[in-house]
This record gives sequence, structure tokens and C-alpha cells, in this order.
Amino acid sequence: MQRRTFIAAAAATLGAPALARAQASGAPAIEQVRQRGVLRAGLSTFVPWAMRDRQGGLIGFELDVGNRLAQDLGVRYEPQPTQWDGIIPALLAGRFDFIIGGMSITAPRLEQVDFSEHYSTSGLLMVANSRIAPNHTKVADFDRPDYTLTCRRGTTVAGVLGRLAPKATVRQFDDDAQAEQEVLNGRAHAWVASAPRPMFSALNHPTAMYVPFKEPFEPQREGIALRKNDPTTLAALNEWVRARHADGFLKARRAYWFETREWASQVAQG
Amino acid sequence: MDREAARRLPAARAMTRPPPPAPRKRLGKLDWILLVLACAAAAWFAWRVSQLNNYRWNWAPVPQFFLRWDETSQSWVANVLLHGLFNTIRLTIFGMVLATAIGFGIGLMRTARDPFLRLVGRSYVELMRNTPPLVIIFVLYFFLSSQIVPQLGLEARIAALSPEARATLQFLFGDPRLIENFVAGLLCLALFEAAYIAEIVRAGIESIPRGQWEAAASMGLPRRHVLARVILPQAIARTVPPMCNQFVSLVKDSSIVSLVSIQELTFMATDVAVSTTRIYEVWITVAVVYFAVCFMLSLAFGRLERSYAARR
Repeated sequence: MQRRTFIAAAAATLGAPALARAQASGAPAIEQVRQRGVLRAGLSTFVPWAMRDRQGGLIGFELDVGNRLAQDLGVRYEPQPTQWDGIIPALLAGRFDFIIGGMSITAPRLEQVDFSEHYSTSGLLMVANSRIAPNHTKVADFDRPDYTLTCRRGTTVAGVLGRLAPKATVRQFDDDAQAEQEVLNGRAHAWVASAPRPMFSALNHPTAMYVPFKEPFEPQREGIALRKNDPTTLAALNEWVRARHADGFLKARRAYWFETREWASQVAQG
Repeated sequence: MDREAARRLPAARAMTRPPPPAPRKRLGKLDWILLVLACAAAAWFAWRVSQLNNYRWNWAPVPQFFLRWDETSQSWVANVLLHGLFNTIRLTIFGMVLATAIGFGIGLMRTARDPFLRLVGRSYVELMRNTPPLVIIFVLYFFLSSQIVPQLGLEARIAALSPEARATLQFLFGDPRLIENFVAGLLCLALFEAAYIAEIVRAGIESIPRGQWEAAASMGLPRRHVLARVILPQAIARTVPPMCNQFVSLVKDSSIVSLVSIQELTFMATDVAVSTTRIYEVWITVAVVYFAVCFMLSLAFGRLERSYAARR
């Protein structure tokens, strides 16, 4: 089932050197954005980073970040919903200017793209099936050969689980909803994803699911991804991130999306 | 062969052999019992699934993603799933036209006398047919969308258009801002489907007896006239059923391009399923929509097949 990621990676590897050269010779991405008057940023649906509201529009933390960046550059913001598996190849292919989509900064990704300084930090949370995996309180409790853990493909979670729970079987799914469903159906013992999504899952299914521990583990940092060899753009983005940390914008938006559920009425969740 | 003689032949045979019984039109008692049993089994299966899966069914969030009431304009407007369906239909229609054109060309190459043309045609078909569609779509898309499509300069041309022209464009191709993306996805789909259509065309041409070529050539017709006036009219009539089949499969295959983020029905459904956490409801609904589209297409093609059969 890793096939798709592999193909995307292979396509990116084949295409990347030629593209990187083509891109490097062009104007800095941020200049292209200013000239075009439009900021295009790739993202993928992750609750509450980016999701569809009842009107079919996109809302979420990343949308607030992208909107503000566009506003500060004096351009229009056009979010580009993209399959997570192919999001890096799509950036390299020039489909959009940046990825503003909760992408955490990792060494393998740094080989393909550059990242701005982090604009948010997150951690992982776990939600477990109350019937088949009851009364656990830490990740180590799930490190058993008879346990199955689920996560979304293409995220950093599989690697983390391989390290923290090497004995358990890890199964990866295309999106969060499927990974969650597998645990809900009792076919897997726990699902691991970025906080706070697993917490919502326990709230939505109070009898079937529980959160073994409330404190997120494996802190991760998310940055804006951009094509390599573009120091001008990188510097501009870093400066923007620092300014938005300083004026409290990022912290306030994060608190709204991750610590409250005031937005829940906008989304048709049931 | 003389048409009159061809028509008379089966009739002559019928005199010596009893005609086969006509197919029954009505279901018998046993058929009904079996049908009821099959329905009961399906219902039991559905009930077991709903018991096994610790799942609270809630269909309420789904319909609003097709049509929603817009407060500001006080009217019903299309939402993401309907927009997705429109894009699927666009992909299907343009995909059919393009794939048929390319496939027809490749099919003719496959039956050409020139070994080079045959080699090229054969290579194309074998390459497309023997690699997973996923790989083809990924590689083609990232190549097309980064190297070829930007060369067309679509974006600049669209920006220069009048508002009316833009509206027409939106009707034909969807959101003008995503048009490059759409075109790249469409080309991928058409190139992929063309390989299968090429095989249908080749099989159609080769199904015409060799004798017809020879007979037409012996009357002094040049090869292209033989092809255009004798072979193809018959071959095309024969390819109608498999071609219809291929078009229905194209509707379903169009979901593959959701992988490269073309905003069609499957892509939108993924978004909605993840956002609402109503996975089964969304996917079952989408399956019903695909079924409806394909079934209507099958009915329409069925009619076309009958009219071709009647003409023959």
C-alpha cells in the first residue's frame, strides 16, 4: 500500500533536478507572487488545519495563515487543495508557490524542499479503542506484537511509531477518516495523528474511544515549504514568520483552531 | 460480398433447421424465489455490516454538499460535490472526444502497412496497457503540468479574455484559475484511454475479412479509399458495443485523476469525507452518483447500438 507514495517520490526524484534548475533560473517565488498578484499555496484536508465548511469553502488554521501572508504581501490568496501524497511533487512542478499546509519539517523532506522557520508547533496524540485496548496510559503500553496502530500515509507518524512501538503492526491509510474508522471498527487498537484531531474523535465517540494521555508527544514544527535554491524568498518568509510570532497573530489563531471548538458549528460534522 | 445475397443466406439456412426458441420475456416462479432469496441475503449482509462496525449512521450532513441554500442570494446553489460531478462530466465528455481521436489514429497505425507506424502504434499500446494507470497518471501529469501545459500560455490568454468569454470557458472547463491543472489531467486521462480505444479500432478493422481488401483493390481502388469507403464503415459499426463499454469505463477511470488533485467528484468526496468524518455516507452517496451517470450512459449507448444494428 506504500505504492502511491513511492510513485510520487519517484516522479519527484526524476523530475526534481530538471525542475530545480528551471526554477532557480527564474525570479524568486515571492517576486512571482507579487507580479501575479496572487499567492497560491498547496494544502490538504486535515482537521482542523484545513477543512470544508458547510458552504464548501475552505477554513482552518492554514487558511488563516495563508490569508494573512497574502494580505501582508498585498496579493490575493488562492488555496490549492491537493492530495497529500503528491503535494511535494506538485510544488516542485510549480503548481503553486508554497505549501502552507501543516507540513512538519523533517530531514527527508528537506532533501526535496526548503522550509521557512516554523510558524507552529504540534505534537501527536493517540486515541484508542475502549473495548479491545482499554486502560492504557502511555505509548509504551501499545508496543505489543498483538496490537495494530493506524496513521495517515505520507505523514511523519509511521516513522515515529516504528521507533516508539516497534513490536506493534502499523497500518497506513489515505486519510485520517479511514485510519480513525479502523480503530472505531475494532480492527485496530489505536490511531495516532497530529493533536488535537484524535481528541475530537474521543469526544465524538465517548463510549467507543478514549485518549490514553492528554499531553501530545513527539513535538513537531511546521514550516512553509518552498522550492529549493531561492534564498530571497526564504529570507522574506522567515522575516514574515518572525513578525507574526512577535505580534501574537500565530499564537492567537492556533489557540482558536486547536484549543477551542468554537468553529465546530461551521463544519458539518456528525 | 453482394448485400442481397448476404441477406438471403440466413433465410435459406432457416428452412433446413428449426428456429431457436425465442428468449423468455417473463420471470418464472423459480426466478422470483431466487430473486427474493438474493435480496434477503443482501439485506442480511447490510444488517451484519451495520452491527459489526461500531458506526453511527448519519446521512444528514451529506445532501448540503450537493445543493445548499445561500442566504445572501436567497437561492439554492451548487456545493462542492455537485461541482465535482460537473468536473467529472467535463472530463468524461472531453476525454471521450480526445481519446477517440488519438485512439483512432493509433488504431490506424496498428493496422498500417508501414512497419515503422506499426512499431510506434504497438509500443504505445503496450506501454500504456501494461503499466499501472496510477504510474502513468503520476508521471504524465507531473511531466505535462510542469513542461508542456505552461508552454501553452493558457493563463495569460485567459486573463486577456472578455468576461463573457470567461463565463463560457468556466462553463466548459470549470474554474478558470484551475484550467491548466484541468487540461493536464484531461490529457493524462485521454492518452491513457486512447490505448484501449486503439485496440478496439484495430480489432474492428481486422475483423473485416481479408477478401474485402483484395476485392476492393482488384477493382482498382487505392488503399486509402478501400479503408475509408469499404473497411471503416463496416469496422466502425462493429466497434460500437466495445466503444460504449470503454466510455462507461472512462467515467469511472476519471476518478484516477483525483490523485493529481483535479477537482472532480472523487477528489471532492475525499475532502468532504475527511471534513465531516462521515466516510461511509459520503462514499456510498458518491458510488450511487457514479452508478447513475454510468447507467444513464449505458442506456443511451444501448439505444445507439440498436440503431446501428438496425441500419446494418
